[in-house]
Amino acid sequence: MTPRLERPRWGPGTATAPTLAAILRAVDSGVLSLDRAGRVVFANPAAARLLGCAAAALVGQPLHEAAPHAQPGGAPCAAAGCSLLATLADGERRRLAGYRFRRRDGATFIADCATGPLRAGGQLTGAVLVLHDVTERHQAAAEQRRLLQQAEAAEARFRALLESAPDAIVITRRDGRILLVNRQAELQFGYDRAELLDQPLEILVPERFRTRHALLREQYHAAPRTRPMGGGLDLYARRKDGSEFPAEISLSPLAIDGEVLVTAIVRDITDRKRAEQQLKQTAAALAQQTVELARSNAELQQFAYVASHDLQEPLRMVASYTQLLARRYRGQLGPEADEFIAFAVDGAQRMQRLINDLLAYSRVGTQGRPLEPVDCGRVVDQVLADLGAAIAESGAVITREPLPVVRADPSQLGQVFQNLLSNAIKFHGTAPPRIHVGAAREGDEWRLWVRDNGIGIAPEYAERIFVIFQRLHTQQEYPGTGIGLAICKKIVERHGGRIWVESAPGAGATFYFTLPAVEETAP
Amino acid sequence: MTSLRPAAARPVEILLVEDNPGDVRLTVEALREARVANRLSVAADGQEALAFLRREGRYADAPRPDLILLDLNLPRKDGREVLAEIKADPVLRRIPVVVLTTSSAEQDILRSYDLHANCYITKPVDLEAFLTVVRAVEYFWLRIVALPGRADGGA
Repeated sequence: MTPRLERPRWGPGTATAPTLAAILRAVDSGVLSLDRAGRVVFANPAAARLLGCAAAALVGQPLHEAAPHAQPGGAPCAAAGCSLLATLADGERRRLAGYRFRRRDGATFIADCATGPLRAGGQLTGAVLVLHDVTERHQAAAEQRRLLQQAEAAEARFRALLESAPDAIVITRRDGRILLVNRQAELQFGYDRAELLDQPLEILVPERFRTRHALLREQYHAAPRTRPMGGGLDLYARRKDGSEFPAEISLSPLAIDGEVLVTAIVRDITDRKRAEQQLKQTAAALAQQTVELARSNAELQQFAYVASHDLQEPLRMVASYTQLLARRYRGQLGPEADEFIAFAVDGAQRMQRLINDLLAYSRVGTQGRPLEPVDCGRVVDQVLADLGAAIAESGAVITREPLPVVRADPSQLGQVFQNLLSNAIKFHGTAPPRIHVGAAREGDEWRLWVRDNGIGIAPEYAERIFVIFQRLHTQQEYPGTGIGLAICKKIVERHGGRIWVESAPGAGATFYFTLPAVEETAP
Repeated sequence: MTSLRPAAARPVEILLVEDNPGDVRLTVEALREARVANRLSVAADGQEALAFLRREGRYADAPRPDLILLDLNLPRKDGREVLAEIKADPVLRRIPVVVLTTSSAEQDILRSYDLHANCYITKPVDLEAFLTVVRAVEYFWLRIVALPGRADGGA
């Protein structure tokens, strides 16, 4: 270049032909001129470079062959109706962005195009087409779009996560104003999102706690870490309508762009509190029941004492004086009087037995001793010794297997065997009683039984015989008050066992009961 | 039998503390047949019994009993309190107290011995048994036992 060239000869905006040629060579944009038919007349080096062939190869070709391209929307472009050629028809300038051109080697580039008319003597002689390669800008824009989409997708995932959380999530900025809330927070607190954003977090705190809360929030920022809020205190949150709900809140710091945000996860624990309340009430009711049970137990003991003393007193008078009457006046008042006195004496004595039995029954519960390992064999042997007279009298033959050690109250266990064995002796048929005592281990308990060959029991009475004072026979047939089996049942149940009978009339009876086994200790 | 005792010996003084006239009568009936000369005084409640023992009011001339038969359930002041007061009194505590009651409750038996009762007997319901018990009391306490303040002692 020489300074001479810079000085225009013909005035502003004009240049010499050599100057123009140099400019066309120098510019980075592709410049093509077309004749009126749309054929390439001239192509500068940049155009040749863009289209991937020598400029000479372009000259003379129709534009769509020299520079095949697609429309901005991507549709293939034909000469008819192509906007790049429209200037040839109307002489108007055009700016047409985003045309995708195909090079000779098949690669593509994107260009923004400008067209302008070429005139000679006022006549439209052709058009000039300038191609400005914007491929890089397009790619950058596409990359930006992709990144944006990615960011949007991440944001959407985060949103989805946030919104699907079962708890209210409230994120606050360092200054305590609300930056973000989820749907659950709206529902839980009764606010619209817009009403919460940028508001001080304290609007969600009951008024009486607000000052203190703001203070504690500041302290949290001094040492932010993930932790439950409230240090074990009951927390309450405030809804828009001023109502409150019990809440469980956990806090976590979240550093974003150099600012520490705080995420508060707020769980409405109304239901849990209610359940806890119900549990408390149930426990209280249970405690109340226990108190009442203790009281009724004490009343029962009182009753037992009344039975043992206050009822005995008048009864003893009736019995003693009817007996005294009988002693002094038998045979003097006539046979009817003797009979009446006999009934009175008998009635008083039976009453006495009933009271004593009732007392014995009530003592099973009140005077039981702690359970300890007891050798059933020794207990049975002792009972058999005690029953010696009855056994001899009835001619009973009693056998037993080796019997286990169980956990029991020794005295009460003796009572059970005593009652079952004396029943087995008492309720015999025509044959002398044959009685067998056996045992079998079942899980962590022992099943024991007393089997006899006596008169048996019809199945329909199998339950009834264990009820206090229930009898199946008259006093004349078999004497007794009907207390024995009721006491057995009460004792066995106090030991956590069961008692039942298997029998049929005339076929003997087997009374079973279970007792806890002694825990095996390692040898 | 009587030869073992000085002819001039005063009858054995017995205080029966019993509110039930039926029981008093039965005891009288039983003691009527006793071999040892005895005199039975009756107090119908605990206050009366203590007044008798301390010779208060109308009991200023009451004899000092050699043996006390004490029921537990009494009106006004019950037998347990009477027993406690007798055994807390340095003079009266020497007099043997036989608790004779309808109660067979273990708590009554234990409490009575804790209060230093000399023995505890549950009254039998059966007349014959009752008579036997009173006779046994008479035999043991009046004939076997050496009572304090009686030089003749037991048989």
